[in-house]
Amino acid sequence: MRGFPIAGEANSSGRRSQTAHGSFFLPRAAGEGDRAKRGRRWGAFLFAALLAIAAPAFAKPQRVVSLNLCADELALRLADPGVVKSVTWLSQDPLSANVAATAAALPANDGHAEEALTYEPDLVLVGPFAEPASIALLRQVGAPVVEVGAPQTFDGVRRQIRDLAAALGELQRGEALIAGMEARLARVAVDPSRPRLKAVVLRPNGFTVGPGSLVDEILTRAGLDNLAARLDIAADEQVPLEIVALLGADVLILDRDEAGAPSLADAALDHPAIAALARRTTIVSLPARLWTCGGPEIAEAVERLAAAARAREATP
Amino acid sequence: MSAEVRYGPLVAALAALALVAALVSLTVGYARLDVSAALADVFAGRPTAAAVVLEQIRLPRAALGAMVGFSLGLAGAALQGLLRNPLADPGVIGVSGGAALGAVVVFYSGLAGAFALAMPLGGVAGAIAAALLLYALVGRGAGTMTLILAGVTVNSFAGALTALALNLSPNPYAAYEIMFWLMGSLADRSLPQLWLALPLTIVGWALLIASAPALDALTLGEDTAASLGFDLGRLRAQLIAGAALAVGAAVAVTGAIGFVGLVAPHLLRPLVGDRPGRLLLVSGLGGAIVLLVADIAVRLIPVHPELKLGVATALIGAPLLYGLIDRMRKEA
Repeated sequence: MRGFPIAGEANSSGRRSQTAHGSFFLPRAAGEGDRAKRGRRWGAFLFAALLAIAAPAFAKPQRVVSLNLCADELALRLADPGVVKSVTWLSQDPLSANVAATAAALPANDGHAEEALTYEPDLVLVGPFAEPASIALLRQVGAPVVEVGAPQTFDGVRRQIRDLAAALGELQRGEALIAGMEARLARVAVDPSRPRLKAVVLRPNGFTVGPGSLVDEILTRAGLDNLAARLDIAADEQVPLEIVALLGADVLILDRDEAGAPSLADAALDHPAIAALARRTTIVSLPARLWTCGGPEIAEAVERLAAAARAREATP
Repeated sequence: MSAEVRYGPLVAALAALALVAALVSLTVGYARLDVSAALADVFAGRPTAAAVVLEQIRLPRAALGAMVGFSLGLAGAALQGLLRNPLADPGVIGVSGGAALGAVVVFYSGLAGAFALAMPLGGVAGAIAAALLLYALVGRGAGTMTLILAGVTVNSFAGALTALALNLSPNPYAAYEIMFWLMGSLADRSLPQLWLALPLTIVGWALLIASAPALDALTLGEDTAASLGFDLGRLRAQLIAGAALAVGAAVAVTGAIGFVGLVAPHLLRPLVGDRPGRLLLVSGLGGAIVLLVADIAVRLIPVHPELKLGVATALIGAPLLYGLIDRMRKEA
């Protein structure tokens, strides 16, 4: 699955979107993310450590089934080996997922509630587009359900990791995962005095990414200025190729995977006009698995974009 | 008919109109573009962004619009002559649907990467299969009802197989692309696609236009045409191959665009009299004008994302088809 959370059209449907995105978290403590400030982090860490010591008192889920790609990715990173009993087939595809190697050893599901039940789960993870009827069915038979969201900010990413770590009883691993991400982000040094390069994102089917999205924040972190903010468009909107060509971007970011199965949506990124622009514009391809889910892999997206920006600044 | 006009001036006038429509198409788009400055850049070889937009985005769009429209109008007129029925539009009778299926199978299976001509040839193969299937049902003077029902059958079967092929693709976007294949679009097509489709298309045009004398003879009845020395088996093969080449190559690039092959011959038939041979070239030019105008319209109508071309042509074509059927019913 690739850049799905981009448009109503793409979201509204089908086999993949159901399993593909994360969702809002039901058991979310209000304002928890706002407290994730630097000074407080140690406190959270201590709290997590205490909880980890006390963990045997709260039984950790032992039979977790994930019905959503983004939930797969986090659950496999956070839970003990053997706890996750099944993941979606999407997370076994190295093009879609960052955890394909681990996921490949597990039985795959198609994201249906009844598949989850065959594992007699004590925790089921679902995405934002899971059918309410499926969730009701799972709850009816007594399986706890946690919904995993598609965070739109870096704070949301941290909050999501914490929430899921709590649900899995692995708070310490959650904090470690966040700390690893923060360390990578901290190493991406952006000189605030330098003028920011102008960038635009082009996703399959000619969608771009506007302000107020996770991708927009990734761009900002990498020292880039999202040109889509100048277009009068919604967060994710289809933009005619000729508009993209005339935007005058320094960096054009293509959301693409080199070895995927063909589609017209992806073929749109092969248009000769884009190649013709390459003389003036640095073109970076960023695989969708780095920024679709909003997991710790966003740090790698920032690193790659920052590297492209530096390369661009180095060329006359 | 009394409205009949002289053939030469009519062809010249339609060609001029098609050229104007193509030029207007170059000036219409989403970005504000100084077309004359961009044109100067193109000729001077300056690779400015404006030159890229004009040469790589707008030029293929206008040229493909003219080429595909010509193919559909010409094939419509030819099939109508062959089946002696004014409702035989490549879209209505399922030839375009078959072509879309052929192109879809080739593209989403990854076969299109094997060799350059695979895509248009896939479209041609699908169009031939649909045309043969149809001809098996309605070949010898079947009534309008049979033609339409056979078209419905071929169309819905091809559409279902197209949806199936798209759903079988592992690419998550594939399933959403059925709209393109069933309704057609010229958005963001490219010059290489034009160059790939053009050779097959031109062969198709040549086959169709060369059948003009035989089509004229056919209006006198099959026996008379045969006695005049026309080999009807050969004529059928030539027309089906020609229509499949022209329509198949077009659909492989733009998806199936309906009704153009119905609207253009219908509007122009009164001007050339009862001469299906003369209608061919005239209807091709008319098809080019219709499609270019429809493509200009979908870019000017402020609907996002852009309307599919088949939506625009169906808005004109479907009422026309309705009227035609109604008239034929009353005459019968």
